[in-house]
Amino acid sequence: MLGTASMPPTPDLAGAVRARLAGFSGFLQASGFGVGGGDSSAVLRTASQVGILHPQMLRWSLKALLCGRPSEWHRFDALFDVYFLPPNKKIFLEGTRDTASYRKPSPEVSPDSVQAPGQSRGGAGNRRLAPERYAASREESLEAADFRELARAEEVRDIEALMRRFAREMKRVRVRREARCLRGRRFDLAGTIRRSIEHGGLPLSVVWRDRRRIRPRIVLLLDVSRSMSLYSFFYLRLARALSAELSDIYGYIFHTRLTAISEALRDADAWRAQEKMHLLAAGWGGGTRIGDCLREFNRDHMGRRVHSRTTVIIVSDGYDTGEPKTLADALRALRRRARRIIWINPISTRPGWSPVSAGMRAALPHIDLLAPGADLATIKRVLPDIIESMR
Amino acid sequence: MSTGAQRVADVAALQQQLAAVGYIAERSFAAALLLMTELKRPLLLEGDAGVGKTEVAKALAAVRGTRLIRLQCYEGLDAHSAMYEWNYQRQLLAIKLLEQDDRSVAAKEQDIFSERYLLKRPLLEAISCTHSPVLLIDEVDRADEAFEAYLLELLSDFQMSIPELGTVTALSVPLVVVTSNGTRELSDALRRRCLYQFVEYPSFEKELAILEIRAPEAAGELARQVVQFVQDARRMDLQKRPGIAETLDWTAALLRLGVTAIGQDASEAILETLAALIKTRDDRTAFTREVVGRMAAAC
Repeated sequence: MLGTASMPPTPDLAGAVRARLAGFSGFLQASGFGVGGGDSSAVLRTASQVGILHPQMLRWSLKALLCGRPSEWHRFDALFDVYFLPPNKKIFLEGTRDTASYRKPSPEVSPDSVQAPGQSRGGAGNRRLAPERYAASREESLEAADFRELARAEEVRDIEALMRRFAREMKRVRVRREARCLRGRRFDLAGTIRRSIEHGGLPLSVVWRDRRRIRPRIVLLLDVSRSMSLYSFFYLRLARALSAELSDIYGYIFHTRLTAISEALRDADAWRAQEKMHLLAAGWGGGTRIGDCLREFNRDHMGRRVHSRTTVIIVSDGYDTGEPKTLADALRALRRRARRIIWINPISTRPGWSPVSAGMRAALPHIDLLAPGADLATIKRVLPDIIESMR
Repeated sequence: MSTGAQRVADVAALQQQLAAVGYIAERSFAAALLLMTELKRPLLLEGDAGVGKTEVAKALAAVRGTRLIRLQCYEGLDAHSAMYEWNYQRQLLAIKLLEQDDRSVAAKEQDIFSERYLLKRPLLEAISCTHSPVLLIDEVDRADEAFEAYLLELLSDFQMSIPELGTVTALSVPLVVVTSNGTRELSDALRRRCLYQFVEYPSFEKELAILEIRAPEAAGELARQVVQFVQDARRMDLQKRPGIAETLDWTAALLRLGVTAIGQDASEAILETLAALIKTRDDRTAFTREVVGRMAAAC
C-alpha cells in the first residue's frame, strides 16, 4: 500500500514513511475532520503498534483512532485511499471538481469529500459540510442565495440583543426534576447532613431541593423557498444570533429539500458562515414541499434531535406545493415526540389573512402555537407567548 | 514495527475469542478492539439502537475474564451518584454510638470517614479493582454536558479525589467502552479522547452468523429466511428499524409457534409474532397481510 512497504526499511525510507504517516492527520484536518495537533504522533504510535505491511490493519486502526463522529466515519475510507493509494487509482475524481454540480451519489462516499488537497475551490470549511448537505442539481437551482447581508451591522445588533433576552428567558424555564440548591422549596435531608459534616455535624446551613432549570432544546426549521425570500435573510440572522447564545439549538433550512445548517450557523467567523450558507442554499428560491421536507426531517434527524424537551419552531408561510396529507402526517409524527411545535408565519399579520392555504389548514390541528413574525417588532411581541408555550 | 502477518494473526485470534463467547465481530472491529487494549484508550461506539453496542462490552469482559462494571447514564445523573456516596445513615448511627467512646475526636472522625462508610458507585468501583475490569458507560448522551466534562477528567488520568479520603488513583486502568445513541451531540473533547467505531446494522452474513450462535435451534433454512425477512424490513421506511435483539426475539417466537420455514403458508404465524419485531403502531400498519405475504414469498 505504501510504495515503500515491500522493501526492508532503510533509515531514509523509514523517515519517508514516517513523514507520510504523520502528514495524514493534517490531511484529514484539511478535509474537515476534528483532529488535533497531538494526533499525528498518535498515528505514528499506532502505526508502529499495528505495522504498515498489512493494508487493511492500518486502515482499520487509523479509522478507529482518527474518526470521531458518523460523518467522519463514512468519509474516512475514501480519504484514506486518496492519501495512501497511488494517484492513478482515483483518477475519476477529477471530474467532480465543480462545486455547484455535486449530487449526492451514495450515503457512504460523496465525491467532494475525496478531493486531494489543493484541488478544492472552497477550502476546508466547505467540505466539512458535505455529508449533511443535499446539494441540488442545476435544474433546481433557480438562483443562488446571497447571504452577504447576514452581517449588516445595526440590524444585527438589534437582533442579537433580542435573542440574548430570549435566551435568558429560556434559561428560566424549569422542569419537574429536582436538584439540590441553596434556596428551594423542599428540604433535602441527605444534602443537609452532608453539608453539616464540615461543621462537625452541626447543621449550620440547610440544603433544599428545587425543580431543576433546564434549557429546552430548540430545533429551527426555516422555509427558504421563493415565497419566503423577503423574510429568509431576517430569519437566518435571527438563527445565527440565537445559535451564538444557546448551545442546544439545531437549525435546518428547507425548500424542496432539507439541509442542516447548525454548523454553519455556529461558525464564529461571520464571513465563513456566509460562504457556507451560500453553498448550502444552492437551489433555494424554488417551490416548497413542506410536507416532504418535514418527513425527511422526521426520518433522518428526528431520532437524534428531538426529545421530550425539544421545542420545534417552524418558520414558513404555509404555501405548500406538496400533498397536505403528507404535511399533516409528518407534523403528527413530530408532535408525538416533541414537547411543542411552534409555527411562525411571517405573512399572517397581513390584512385579510386567514389560514386558508391547504398547507396551513393541514398543519393547524397539530401545532401548539401559530405566531406572526414579519419583522423584529412582531417577534418581540410574540416572544413571551413562545416562552410561555415552552413550559 | 511488528510484522503485518503477526498483527493479522493477533486480530484473527481476538475475533475467534469473541466468537467463542457469542459475539460476532468483523475483522475491522476486532482490529479496533485490539488497538484499544493496547493504547488503553476508551472506545466510543455510536450507532442505531439495537445494533449490539452494549454487547461489545459484555463480550470483551468475557474474553478477558474480568468483571463488567456498568454505568447506565440518564438525564440528571450527577458525579456523586456515578462515583461514590457516603452512607449517611450508617455514619449518623456511628456518631451516636461513638459518643460513649473515649477515643480522641480525630480518631473518631477518621473512623467515620473510612472506607467502611463509603458506598462505591460504578466509577470508583472501576478504578479500585486490582484486575483491570471493563467499564461500560452506557448511553452517555443521556447524561448532561457537565457530567460528560467530569467523565473526561476521569478518563484522562484515572484518578478521582474524595475530599475526606484524599486522591484515589486507579489500581489498574479499566477498559472503557462508551456507547451513545446520538440523542445529543457529544463534545469534541470526549470524541477526541476515544477511539471511535460506528456500528451499522449487521450485514446478511453477520446476522446469520449471530443467529446461528445465539439461536442454534433455528435450523439452517429458517435462520436464513428470518434474516432475509428482517433485512428486507430494515430497508422499509420504518420509524424503529428492528435490531439484532428483535431478530432473536422474533426467531424465538416463530420457533414457539412451530414454524419451520417462512413461506406463503406461514404468513399467519408471521403476523401473529410480528409484535416481537415491529415496535410502533405506525410501523405495524405498514405490515399488512399482502406486504407480509410478499416479503415471506421473497425469502
